[in-house]
Amino acid sequence: MEYIVETKNLTKKFGKETAVEGLNMKIPRGEIYGFLGPNGAGKTTTIRMLLGLMKPTSGSVHVFGKDLKRDKLNILRKVGSLVENPSYYPHLTAYENLEAMRKIVGCEKARIHEVLEIVGLTHAAHKKVKGFSLGMRQRLGIAQALLNRPELLILDEPTNGLDPSGIIEVRNLIRSLPRQYGMTVLISSHLLSEIEQVATTVGIVSKGKLIYQDSIESLRRHSQHHIAFRVSHGERAWRSLMAAGIKTQFQGDLVTLSDQTDDATVATAVRALVQDQIAVYRVEEERRTLEEIFLQMTTKERAV
Amino acid sequence: MMGKLLRVELMKIRRKGFWFLTFLGPIGVVALQVVNYSVRWDYLRTLSDDHWLFYLENVSGFTPLALVLGIAILTSFMASIENETNAWKQLLALPVRKTSVYLAKFTVLSGLLFLASVLLCLATLVYGLTLDFGGGVPIIELLEYSFYPFFAALPILALQLWVAMVSENQGWPITVGVLNVILTYSAFSLPDWAFWKWPTLLNSWEEPMYSGLMGLGVGLVIYMVGMMNFVRRDVK
Ligand SMILES: Nc1ncnc2c1ncn2[C@@H]1O[C@H](COP(=O)(O)OP(=O)(O)O)[C@@H](O)[C@H]1O
Ligand SMILES: [Mg+2]
Repeated sequence: MEYIVETKNLTKKFGKETAVEGLNMKIPRGEIYGFLGPNGAGKTTTIRMLLGLMKPTSGSVHVFGKDLKRDKLNILRKVGSLVENPSYYPHLTAYENLEAMRKIVGCEKARIHEVLEIVGLTHAAHKKVKGFSLGMRQRLGIAQALLNRPELLILDEPTNGLDPSGIIEVRNLIRSLPRQYGMTVLISSHLLSEIEQVATTVGIVSKGKLIYQDSIESLRRHSQHHIAFRVSHGERAWRSLMAAGIKTQFQGDLVTLSDQTDDATVATAVRALVQDQIAVYRVEEERRTLEEIFLQMTTKERAV
Repeated sequence: MMGKLLRVELMKIRRKGFWFLTFLGPIGVVALQVVNYSVRWDYLRTLSDDHWLFYLENVSGFTPLALVLGIAILTSFMASIENETNAWKQLLALPVRKTSVYLAKFTVLSGLLFLASVLLCLATLVYGLTLDFGGGVPIIELLEYSFYPFFAALPILALQLWVAMVSENQGWPITVGVLNVILTYSAFSLPDWAFWKWPTLLNSWEEPMYSGLMGLGVGLVIYMVGMMNFVRRDVK
């Protein structure tokens, strides 16, 4: 398989502290790779190494199949990035900020208007960034990352500071990029919900180690929902569902469905309960949080 | 690549007072002599036979301090442009060499200081001409007093830029700036090897050119060391 990004045993130490340890990241072409992990897990440090901003303590980075150490400039020509908080020159306007960047990356001037349009900042193009709201600054950061029509787009927590409608816009934008422009996207976040809605591949990092890397479908299986029924008679309900071919657990008046939670199964379960004259008070969906998944994965790791 | 980077740097110093300071420095230095000569020209004319040379020496008495003060302020402005929103990570994730970025910053700063030297030369000449000293204008000395201090101050510029470019904490450049100014202020009591003395053009060989040449040589060495260190470090 062709990997746009491939790291081998990537490690970064700050003094005694190891921020990233033996990381083997593989991002196939055209994927939206969700890089997930709690704060301090080492996401930004990894991204900085991918961009050549930090030198790895050991290990290697290949982007577009080329060694970053040897081909840094050629690689960076085709990469767009937004790392942590957006960087800009507050005393310049949004247009001037992009123009300063354009002079270096060398695209045509019309592209500035294009990216401003994409992120919805056309109206503020000639205002100083000093007066921008957090959300507008974040949009400018995304515009900067898109300016050189990158083949690889790296966005580190890009929805920070955006309001809910901004988050949805950015999400839709990111989703459209691989299809529309053939981009490969790396997006980091500490929120599972954030990654889940855009990513096609997921890497989970915890304490500097990549503890999971697979397709989003596999992760969905891990983060499967529970459906809990609060009923009048727990044990009877459990038996009734068993007879209907649905495996559940019960505890008091709470019956939990955890293996199959698709709509059809839930509907069948409800029908079975009603037919057997068991009163259903509540049907609740319980999603596993990122923390629970982490816990599960790290305990599994220990068991192996 | 250098051409593009220089244009970008010139764009970034807009509206930051760089140009204003570049004009203010030399004008200020000559303005002090305007005051001096307006108030006590009758006294000053008794101190020397060569009025032009004496005037040039008076002007150059304030040049080193103005230069070193200018270096401290302009360099810290220059670093603050990138540090304010940590734009280093944005700039250096573009296809640019770190050496080119460093060189562009150095070139813009030394360019501004050189422009200040040109202005100093012109302002010195213009005010001198209005004073009716008699005799021809000592062109060679005028150029020496205007441009040697610039070259002699390059080690201070290179040192100040290095500290400003790599410090995580902006306290360091300020400390170094203050030390540079104090040492330049006390240049007369410093030994010949101390480069803070060089912008005064005083040395035991009594040859101002040596101060300029040493400044150029040592300035380049400190520049190289600073650039290597900047390249080796992780981006802030
Ligand atoms: N420049 C640095 N110097 C020292 N420690 C650092 C530096 N950058 C990051 N770290 C440490 O590395 C760890 C990972 O940080 P980071 O990569 O920023 O995590 P994330 O982006 O996942 O929140 C943290 O413990 C952080 O304190
Ligand atoms: Mg981070």
